[in-house]
Amino acid sequence: MTEPIKLTIDGVEVEAKPGQTVLQAAIDNNVYIPYLCYWPGMKPYGACRMCCVEVEGGRGTPASCTLPVANGMVVNTLGTEIRGLRESVLELLLSEHPHGCLTCHRIELCGPQDICLRHVRVMDRCVVCPKNERCELKDTVRYVNVNMESPLAYNYRNLQVETGDPFYDRDYNLCIVCARCVRVCEEMRGDDAIAMIERSGTVLVGTSQGISLLESGCEFCGACIDVCPVGALVERDHKWDKAVTTVKTTCTHCSVGCQVNLEVDRRGRVIRSIGDWESPVNTGQLCYMGKFGNEFVNSRNRLKTPMLRQHGELVEATWEQALEAIASRLPDYKDGAFSLFLTPRATNQQAYLAGKFARQVMGSNNVDLSVDHRLELVEPLGRRLGAAAATGTVAELESAGCVLVVNANVTEEHNVAAIPIKKAHKAGGKLIVIDTREVELSRYADLWLRPYPGSESALVGGMLRVILDEGLQDDTFITECSGGIDALRESLAGYGIDAVADATGVGADKIASAARAFAQAGSAGIVYALDNVAQDERAPVTDALVNLALATGNVGKPSSGLFPLRPGAASQGALDMGCSAGDDGLSAAQSLEAIAQGGVKAAMVLGDSALFTSEAVHALTHTDFFVVQAMFPSELTEAADVLLPMTSFAEEDGVVTSLDRWALRRRAAIDPVGESRPADSVLTQLARRLGAADFGGHPSEVLQGIREAVPAYAAATDDALDAGGVQIAWSMPERAELTPLPPMQARNGDAPFLFAPGRVLSLPVGEVEVVRSNGKNAIRREDALELHPDDASAMGVAPGDVIEVAANGHRIRGLARTTGPLRGVVSATVLFGELAIALDQSADDDPMLRVPGLHVMPVQVAKA
Amino acid sequence: MADDALRARIVRAVTEQPQPTVTVLSSLLAIEDELGWIPQEAIEEVASRQSVTQNDVWAVASFYPNFRFSPPGTHMVEVCWGPTCHLMGAQRLLERVHDALGLDGEGDTADGAVTLRYNTCLGACGQAPVVSADHHLLGRASAEAVDALVAGLRAAGRNGGHQR
Repeated sequence: MTEPIKLTIDGVEVEAKPGQTVLQAAIDNNVYIPYLCYWPGMKPYGACRMCCVEVEGGRGTPASCTLPVANGMVVNTLGTEIRGLRESVLELLLSEHPHGCLTCHRIELCGPQDICLRHVRVMDRCVVCPKNERCELKDTVRYVNVNMESPLAYNYRNLQVETGDPFYDRDYNLCIVCARCVRVCEEMRGDDAIAMIERSGTVLVGTSQGISLLESGCEFCGACIDVCPVGALVERDHKWDKAVTTVKTTCTHCSVGCQVNLEVDRRGRVIRSIGDWESPVNTGQLCYMGKFGNEFVNSRNRLKTPMLRQHGELVEATWEQALEAIASRLPDYKDGAFSLFLTPRATNQQAYLAGKFARQVMGSNNVDLSVDHRLELVEPLGRRLGAAAATGTVAELESAGCVLVVNANVTEEHNVAAIPIKKAHKAGGKLIVIDTREVELSRYADLWLRPYPGSESALVGGMLRVILDEGLQDDTFITECSGGIDALRESLAGYGIDAVADATGVGADKIASAARAFAQAGSAGIVYALDNVAQDERAPVTDALVNLALATGNVGKPSSGLFPLRPGAASQGALDMGCSAGDDGLSAAQSLEAIAQGGVKAAMVLGDSALFTSEAVHALTHTDFFVVQAMFPSELTEAADVLLPMTSFAEEDGVVTSLDRWALRRRAAIDPVGESRPADSVLTQLARRLGAADFGGHPSEVLQGIREAVPAYAAATDDALDAGGVQIAWSMPERAELTPLPPMQARNGDAPFLFAPGRVLSLPVGEVEVVRSNGKNAIRREDALELHPDDASAMGVAPGDVIEVAANGHRIRGLARTTGPLRGVVSATVLFGELAIALDQSADDDPMLRVPGLHVMPVQVAKA
Repeated sequence: MADDALRARIVRAVTEQPQPTVTVLSSLLAIEDELGWIPQEAIEEVASRQSVTQNDVWAVASFYPNFRFSPPGTHMVEVCWGPTCHLMGAQRLLERVHDALGLDGEGDTADGAVTLRYNTCLGACGQAPVVSADHHLLGRASAEAVDALVAGLRAAGRNGGHQR
């Protein structure tokens, strides 16, 4: 334990941690030093010179953000010289920043209804700055008390406001060049999508040769907006709106569990989503979904009243009538004839009550989240490592010596989980990506292994074989905590490196390098989603990964372990709450089949999801009785017998569990829209009508029930949740055996062509062209389809020929490139910007519910 | 293909740097030396070889006024306007060159034949005022000599020149 450092700031003796700067020490001790470029968690930069201080016995006026604390240091932040200096610094900043908002004599007089009279120039008006009254520069000018009586002249840069890209507006006329945006993009996100361009007098934030963010590598996470101290960077939606309250809740778009502060305006609309910087889960970071995907809450199309089907038509009804109608029909379908589908955005309370409702009230085990939540990714962990959940903390991966990412599109589907992975790589850790598709992380990877789809288990087996053959396994760990190494070794007999290379299409040297990098990393984590692995193959691949982790001793120590990335924000919570079909019930997909075949006659769908395609809705119309609770009208709600309006996550209280098992609060930020109610309230009301008197209740009562029924959640007390969340403890079981691998399957040579789509943040400039139409940037791209040279010559295709890939009526044409590494696989990589444009301009009420993933599929390939 | 030839020259310039530490800046300098300017292909090549984004390369390249982002003219005229040359009448020569080339300041002639640059010292103060054409010095330059020099370069048009 290092001794704290004692120093004096403005006459008060304070303690600081070694290595801190004077500014950090001041902030920790509630001494305010104005600053504009510092941001907690980012490296000191010293650009704005606002935080200058005097040190007794020292020379000059150093910036406190770059000045390390020292014992006995006497710091003065309020001297006359300092004040004068700060005033001059601010005057210099204001010499390039419109500041009518500070000098207009009507500042105190204007009311919200007033139209701006011509007291200041158009570009100066406070109403033309989107950050009016939430501007750090303005606050600082007022604190420093700069003499603004005689309006200062300023140089207006007269730059066009950049509005062509999705989601953001960028007005660099307001930029004060603090570089926070550039630094957050580099240091926190690892993207470097923007940089400081040019020098001294003309330096400004920009991109390479002024290219659009669509092609500069931007992932549209909005981190730059959140740190911008002025009105230069803002969200386009609700750009001019002002918040009256802020509520901290948990994002609902994936299972990472990001903490987000929702800003609400006086009309009760959620106008902005800002990542919570104190959260241990996401440290202020969000993604394109969490930052820009919450507008659905405010949609005018929200369902507001219950509806009942009468004479074939859905007509408005009261809750009383709707609940009564459901309660009168449901008892006819007890036992296996009833299925319950719960939204993948459910809270733990909703999941707990759904499981209980189906089993206790309806006597049916057919209850599941309405998403393929890939139980197979955690089932082996439950069986072998004591808990069906990740064995570590995602954020800790930033200190890992190696991260192995197996068939997971982390940047798009669990975005914030990619941040520690990128940080680990930046800090010198090895990144190994196993994926047939080209995904963002494969660009960062030290080793990108592109196996033939379906051969992932062979590849992991091959890595294990190399580790055991070369004696790289962790013998101490295996002796103390594990065993079964002989059986494992025996089962790997057929996994000779050449056979594996043959089966997977990955070069033997690459497999060996990956195995060595993983085994010798010191601490290594495995992140896997198995997006393109067939359902019955997922458990075997996961088992192989567990073996890989156990054999190298990478379970149960910091910055290591297994991290299953499952779809659905509720996937971990629902599993913990028992909201899954189990062995006796039907999963969501099985239920849909059973409904189509007539085995299940009544269904209740709580929340729309990507599962409900036209085919699924068609199947559901075969039921005798079909209840839907949803936020928006859709094909699904049209088919319902009873339709209930559902609250959004912003109107619900509850607890959700992240993929690394943080139990986190969901808090209502706004009142329920219309008469909408949360799913837990519906389940409670129905159960009570059906005779279960003490069923359910308020989320806090249900949480009490959860603590009693689910021992792991005993620690999830209200106090702990209020304090920022509680991580459900996982501990290494006393012994976790290595298990033998099944015999390796050789590659099936007659398989059809597979199409492997890819999507990345930036492509070579020659391949994409950004064109402007109607004020919006659009991407024009020459499609390129990559295939193996042998396949190309077998088909008589030369580089540059036009070929066509077809499946299920969809066709893609593109120019052939004969550089593909895998026979039988054709691949194409597009720009993430295209997805961002599609989501930004989507007419869907809730576009983030159906973000198209990257699915490998069988196709026909022909010369066009 | 011309693109491939350009890229090959860029790759050669970047990979054949003699010093042990290769950076974004050293790579850009090597390319500027080879081509006389930094094309987009060079930004891409340096970015991928140094494992940084193109934005990072552009941040370095745009910082230094020494880098050009469009091809220079076939011939290069540099007029020294250092203190000695200034005292010896460089300003008059500059005006003369401006007139002869139809330029207002540094830049390229419309036909791309000549690029004019100001230089703070060509290292021949004893010969002031000094003008250089394609790196050949002209000392004790008179207005007439400058006229003749420029006329010669314009006559040569896009032939010859300083390009390596």
